[in-house]
Amino acid sequence: MRESESRGTPPAAAGKARFKVGDRVRVKDLPNLFYSRTQMYVRGAVGTIAACTYQDLIPEDEAFNRDGRIEQYYIVRFRQKDLWPGYPFDNDTLQTESPERWLEPADD
Amino acid sequence: MSHAHTPGNGGAEHPAAPTVDEITDFEVLEIAVRELAIEHGLFTAEDHRRFTEWAESIGPAAGSRLVAKAWVDPAFKERVLKDAVKACKEIGIDWAEPTGFGTPSDYMNLRVLEDTPTLHHVIVCTLCSCYPRPLLGMSPEWYRTTNYRRRLVRWPRQVLAEFGLVLPPEVEIRVEDSNQKCRFMVLPVRPAGTENWTEEQLAEIVTRDCMIGVALPRPGRTADVHPMHRARRPVGSSRD
Amino acid sequence: MAGREELVQQQEIISFLQPALHMPQNWNYELASPVVKAYLHPPHDVGGQFDVPAIYEEKEEEQWELNTYVTCEVLGWRGIWNSEERRRRADNDLGYAMYLGIPYYGRWILAAARMLVDKKHIALSELIEKIAEVKARYARK
Repeated sequence: MRESESRGTPPAAAGKARFKVGDRVRVKDLPNLFYSRTQMYVRGAVGTIAACTYQDLIPEDEAFNRDGRIEQYYIVRFRQKDLWPGYPFDNDTLQTESPERWLEPADD
Repeated sequence: MSHAHTPGNGGAEHPAAPTVDEITDFEVLEIAVRELAIEHGLFTAEDHRRFTEWAESIGPAAGSRLVAKAWVDPAFKERVLKDAVKACKEIGIDWAEPTGFGTPSDYMNLRVLEDTPTLHHVIVCTLCSCYPRPLLGMSPEWYRTTNYRRRLVRWPRQVLAEFGLVLPPEVEIRVEDSNQKCRFMVLPVRPAGTENWTEEQLAEIVTRDCMIGVALPRPGRTADVHPMHRARRPVGSSRD
Repeated sequence: MAGREELVQQQEIISFLQPALHMPQNWNYELASPVVKAYLHPPHDVGGQFDVPAIYEEKEEEQWELNTYVTCEVLGWRGIWNSEERRRRADNDLGYAMYLGIPYYGRWILAAARMLVDKKHIALSELIEKIAEVKARYARK
């Protein structure tokens, strides 16, 4: 009955968000095993926090129907040039979401 | 599956699907799973009927209304950008439908991405096909293909050009890869030549493709034109 | 039930399904890490992979496709699974050949069926009998 309950009531707070809008972050390259929603193409790349969104379960746990670990999610903005070698347009960007555990501070 | 269609072959010349009496493997599996689930009390036929009714009621017209209203009402636009799920109620869309806590797959985090003359958003879900169903209905088939999902993030200008949308390099293209629990919709720039239009007139040119970001609204453009692959037994053609 | 000739043809189609890592793989005592990573890569993570231009088609929805969507969502509504689990099962656990080869909602319904069996809501034998019964029911119509 987890799904209906978790969607009906906000999950327990995960504590204070570690990052704020404007922070530079690097996406970790954690091992892949069975399930992840952190795309290969953003791993190791440095981007900027564009929004702090919500707190929820992390996909690796939820995909196996486990309750518990609630984390802060962020929208991270990358320059396309930082994602794809030889990307030809300086201005273009890409945004995607990430839970906190996949991000680390980047001092570049 | 007996209908021999090779994906990615261009597909522009599909003949009308033949009327087929034969039931396909997936039709059989779908019936078997649904009937067993009901027989075992996992859900009721009434649950299924109620959700179907909701699924058949959604479509991109709601999104079109939202964009048109945002274009004519700056205060509404601010509310949309601040809390889109809440603002949807003003145009008659309640994200909590049809269960009281939303659908299991759409969650209740909608973010509307505002285009400007120098910023254009386009949406993809590289991992599956996350899409704001309560506001735009079911996603188009091309949005679900590996082709679109592979290429849009890396070659957005090429893919947009294939949709007929060519933007100058000084316009920033921002790809939104919708990979978790936020759902996204594009709020395009109101095109020139629509001054003094009513909300109804404006809504007509805000097609689904404009709200995904693969097209721009303009006067006279009221439909997304793609080759259509016909169903063998389309929704509504039979009820068992 | 299929005839013998049909079953023989079916066998040929099955034999064309092969793992598609186009490298020599005769002795798998050890694998280089990049190859292991390639095998462990979740199939749904396709962003940035090469592909050729295509015509982006619309597809009219089949009744069974809408029914499948609704069945999967109602199973979520009633707490039998959640959507992340559905994505794991339908987009990853089926493996590459089925991920790339089976229609979108075909993967959904296969995932739902497998989940119901895995969680012991229904027995596989029961599902198989039901499938045969449904086939027979519609063959008579």
